[in-house]
Amino acid sequence: MTIPGFILRNALRNKRRLGLTVLSVALSLFLFTTLQTALHELTQPPTSEDAALRIVVRNKVSLANVLPAKYRSRLERMPGVRHVMKLTWFGGIYKDKANFFPQFAVDSEQLFPVFSEAEIDAKQIQDFLKEKNACVVGNKTMERFGWKIGDRITLQGTLWPCDPELIIRGVYRKGIDMTNLFFHHEYFDELMGNKGLVGTYWIRAENADSVSDLIERIDRTFANSDAETKTETERAFQLGFVSMFGNIKVLLGSISTVIVFTMILVTASTMSMAIRERSREIAILKAVGFDGWQIFGLILAESFGLAVAGGVIGCGGAAFLYRNIDIYSLSHGVLLKLDVTPAILAAGMTVAAILGIVSCLMPAYTSIQTTVVAGLKELD
Amino acid sequence: MAVPLRYNLRNLVVRWRSTITTALGIALVVAVFVMVMSLARGLAATYISTGDPRNLLVLRKGSTAESSSQITRDEVRQIRYLAGIERDAAGEPIASPEIQVLVQMERIDKTGTAHVLVRGLGLVGIELRPQIKIREGRMFRQGLNECIVSQRIAQRFTHCRIGDRFAGGKAQWTVVGIFDAAKTAYESEIWLDADEARDAFNRSFYGSILLRPIADAAAVATLTNRIEFNRDLSVRVLPETEYYKEQTNTGAPIQFLGSFLAIIMSIGAVFSAMNTMYATVGARIREIGTLRVLGYKRRDIYVSFMIESVLLALLGGALGCVFSLPMNGIATGTLSWNSFTEVAFEFRITGELLLKGMAFALVMGMLGGLLPARLAARKPVLDALRSI
Repeated sequence: MTIPGFILRNALRNKRRLGLTVLSVALSLFLFTTLQTALHELTQPPTSEDAALRIVVRNKVSLANVLPAKYRSRLERMPGVRHVMKLTWFGGIYKDKANFFPQFAVDSEQLFPVFSEAEIDAKQIQDFLKEKNACVVGNKTMERFGWKIGDRITLQGTLWPCDPELIIRGVYRKGIDMTNLFFHHEYFDELMGNKGLVGTYWIRAENADSVSDLIERIDRTFANSDAETKTETERAFQLGFVSMFGNIKVLLGSISTVIVFTMILVTASTMSMAIRERSREIAILKAVGFDGWQIFGLILAESFGLAVAGGVIGCGGAAFLYRNIDIYSLSHGVLLKLDVTPAILAAGMTVAAILGIVSCLMPAYTSIQTTVVAGLKELD
Repeated sequence: MAVPLRYNLRNLVVRWRSTITTALGIALVVAVFVMVMSLARGLAATYISTGDPRNLLVLRKGSTAESSSQITRDEVRQIRYLAGIERDAAGEPIASPEIQVLVQMERIDKTGTAHVLVRGLGLVGIELRPQIKIREGRMFRQGLNECIVSQRIAQRFTHCRIGDRFAGGKAQWTVVGIFDAAKTAYESEIWLDADEARDAFNRSFYGSILLRPIADAAAVATLTNRIEFNRDLSVRVLPETEYYKEQTNTGAPIQFLGSFLAIIMSIGAVFSAMNTMYATVGARIREIGTLRVLGYKRRDIYVSFMIESVLLALLGGALGCVFSLPMNGIATGTLSWNSFTEVAFEFRITGELLLKGMAFALVMGMLGGLLPARLAARKPVLDALRSI
């Protein structure tokens, strides 16, 4: 019998225990992968070349304070600015509060130049621009409510005292958040009877090098005015949102730690059970000439293999599952997607590997310390 | 005849190593469950303790939070003098038109910024909330751009100590007092004068009206109808308690996280309990045979092993509850989607939550013991006695 064969036989001698242990390691790593992925999604919004060019201007006091409409022409005149778009959070209700999805009033001509990575039919853009109360919707939201182009929907304002009645004229895919709805800022202004309600201005800069200089110039321009601005990159703006939720990092991070710790406990306990029941065999191995390191190697290989098998099932299972289910509708729109990145997979497998090593240390140490005679005497 | 409990207890003690590891595994699952749920509980408790059942709140129709509501000055005038509103000693109606604005503030621990709710109100508004006590400094005075901040806000954000100044709208506000809001939602607020706030933040309208109707159910109903069915007014009236109950849905994602973690982790813990129980059954086959020869029935053996598994799990559950206790009372905060502001609250571990944790451990113990106990009970006597 070869050494690998010997290890394999030992691992398989109690299939039920092996199965239970591998599965509990797999479950823990599944959870670990899920939490790390969710953390990644929430704290590291995806970046693209286009996103690096976008700058968000908002009122310095808070997001709930608006900016004057006249800022638009002043922003447009600044060197380094290619497009300027008004974007105002509408936050209305579609039929029921539970049907939450993001809605924005925007400068319709600027929408697709600014968010150039969104994919949409050119004809649909034309239709959208032609009609005052037209809107474009991301495909995720279209699917969620089973909408078709040409459908009429009414949003009930909660933040703003008006109820826009919209006609869907276009669907976009990819690039930007596929759950959004965009409609004409002019229509919003008309409903509100006020042109001066602009939540944010989104700017597309000419090139990435000028962005930081531009941010500074914008804030300087509006300093000491009635509505001072706070300008930042799209990424910084999104991260700012996440930080408002409080310390998600600490919460999810500490739960991940607890899970890893629990796993070590479970695996270590199984390994020591497995090794205690064969203390006599280990004594025999020693008697026929295996030294301490060789026995440690045998035990380590078994524990390592067990943990890594659990890791492959858990991490791989998570990656497979999240690629194939619609997490958006399952989480009621909280999470857009769970993308298990290679880095997270690597982290999960590293945890599994460390687990395999750490959990066999104690039992291996005990069995190596036991003398041949004591080992042979042991009963269970 | 039942197998004595001492048999199980002694066995758990003798195999202390696997007892401890398995119990710890269950303990950690219970601890995570209790802690995450105590977050949701703390958040809900903060809102529920806030409203006063005697008060009514007036908001714009369709708005879900005070900070997104608008009430014109004309509407305020019309509503204030309606019959059915309690009057104070001077004969003035006890109705407090208030304004809510959001101010972005920096966290003390440098982890970013958050929106804090600034409430502009007058004397009546302060009297309507007797739970507020000034702990340091004094109440704000009109005309000086002064404000008071809650203890929680003072602990969590910069520029909120007494004597500090921060910018809000066109004005600079000086902190003159720090208040204790008895763990209500007001713990997340900054208070200042309503008129000064309207001026500094360029608001021509108010956000809400808090009023005290005459303590009489019929009068309350009449008043409500008079406001809601008045075509000139586009507002809705609701009991203050109900408003704060609506806000508790902020905790829904936390609750979801708690249940999700608990379910998946508990499956892992059940597997580990099963492993331990199988091992313990395997090691005691001869003992089981002996018990059978002594006259104990299959059912007794089954029950005995189930009890052992449950005991093990309950030990773990108790440990888990102990682990979670230090979190009780620790303050934290999150974003409320309704008002778009930071809500400060604390982990709140209640007796009920601990009981739920124990019940959870009990279920894990039963599931973990089910199959191993059946295996033990079904062993033929002779086989059991012969095994080494």
